[in-house]
Amino acid sequence: MSFYGFVTGPLVWIAFLTFIIGTLIRAAMFFVESSKKDKVLYKHFSVKYVLATFGRWLLPLNKDLAKNPIFTILVYIFHICLIVVPIWFSGHIYLWEESRFGWYWSPIPDGLADWMTLILLAVALFFLLRRILSPDIRLISTCSDYVLLLVTALPFITGYLFTYGTLDDIAFFKNNMEIIHILSGELMLILIPFTKLSHYILFFFSRASSGIEFGRRGYSM
Amino acid sequence: MNEEINPKAIVDFLKPRLGARFKTWLAICTHCGLCADTCHYYMASGNDPKMIPSYKVRFLNEILKRKGKVDRAYLQKMYDTVYYECNMCRRCTLYCPFGIDMALLVALERALLFSQGMAPEGLLAAIENYKQFGNQMAITKEDWVDTIEWCEEETAEELVGLKIPIDKKGAKIMYTVNAREPKFYPQDMMAAAKIFHVAGEDWTLPSESGWDDTNLGMFCGDVKTATMVVKNTFKRAEELGVQQVAITE
Repeated sequence: MSFYGFVTGPLVWIAFLTFIIGTLIRAAMFFVESSKKDKVLYKHFSVKYVLATFGRWLLPLNKDLAKNPIFTILVYIFHICLIVVPIWFSGHIYLWEESRFGWYWSPIPDGLADWMTLILLAVALFFLLRRILSPDIRLISTCSDYVLLLVTALPFITGYLFTYGTLDDIAFFKNNMEIIHILSGELMLILIPFTKLSHYILFFFSRASSGIEFGRRGYSM
Repeated sequence: MNEEINPKAIVDFLKPRLGARFKTWLAICTHCGLCADTCHYYMASGNDPKMIPSYKVRFLNEILKRKGKVDRAYLQKMYDTVYYECNMCRRCTLYCPFGIDMALLVALERALLFSQGMAPEGLLAAIENYKQFGNQMAITKEDWVDTIEWCEEETAEELVGLKIPIDKKGAKIMYTVNAREPKFYPQDMMAAAKIFHVAGEDWTLPSESGWDDTNLGMFCGDVKTATMVVKNTFKRAEELGVQQVAITE
């Protein structure tokens, strides 16, 4: 099997399965461990507070919006682009349709996908500069914060370059941009369960934990 | 205070206490910095980056990474942070997108330090008092009852017929105080007695341990003493068969 065949075949399976199974394991680990050591969560569990806290933080209805409006809005925009573009970009849906699953769903216009990609990259650049230039954020940043920001931005950079052939003057990129793009996406999927990118699932557990307690005490959830 | 630190003891202390919530919080903090300007220590220090709440809980991850191999100077640094740069008010948690409970993390850091024999002297002295006398001010039962009786006499001069019932079985409310009140501020107890009297409440004070509603062991993570203090209060409430326990301010 060629390297290209491996990256577009088995490695896709490995990446998606690592992502899905890894997520399930992280969720299961939370349930198993919390049932022994965080009994307070079950004792005071409240669907009302859990849904309220999810709603407040998945939508910009929380305290941060008033306190740090610009950063907060950028974070929301970043995450919307991060989720929407890979799932609803026409080129990706085409691959799902071609695959053994034959799945199809309506894509977003390509122009919108382009803009969302550029916006995400601009926000990522802002995050990076903020990390480097702000003495506050620089102090608390760890190596993984920088690496994971790059890992997250890479599929979007390479995707854009691949779509538009921006670097096609360089033979290496002309021949390999597709494979680099796929690899970068697979790298991200594989890293999600093992790094703090797992916050995409653990966010819900963490928020629920605090929401249950804070709701009961009448604090802001 | 300079004895060797046993890394195994540190890890053995932390591991069973790191539940699902702690592990999640330590794993997912993205160091976004939204907690920075929510902290009054940060604001009051002229935005000193070292005061960012997220930075104050870095010790736990570092200790786990080093498998407990830290020296006394390291623990001292942690001590200075968790006692003098955080009072566990939880304001940062209100602004954390993940709701990471910094106060619980700092409390765990304090408990770890206590397990290594490090805690503020005042708290250690109070803990000794709780263990010996059941209250933080080392007040004996005789002194306590004597103080109540004296308070009753003094107050009854103002409000004729005022009684401070001691160990009254079946009363509706069991009142508890801060042990500093009988020691230094009995007028606070008298004021409460006046309110109960005028309001016509059916209340009582227990003579045995359980009447001190402060719990200083909690502040340095001495769970054993903290539990004992709370259990005393519950025990008295059950013995007296009261419906409610009221605590002073």
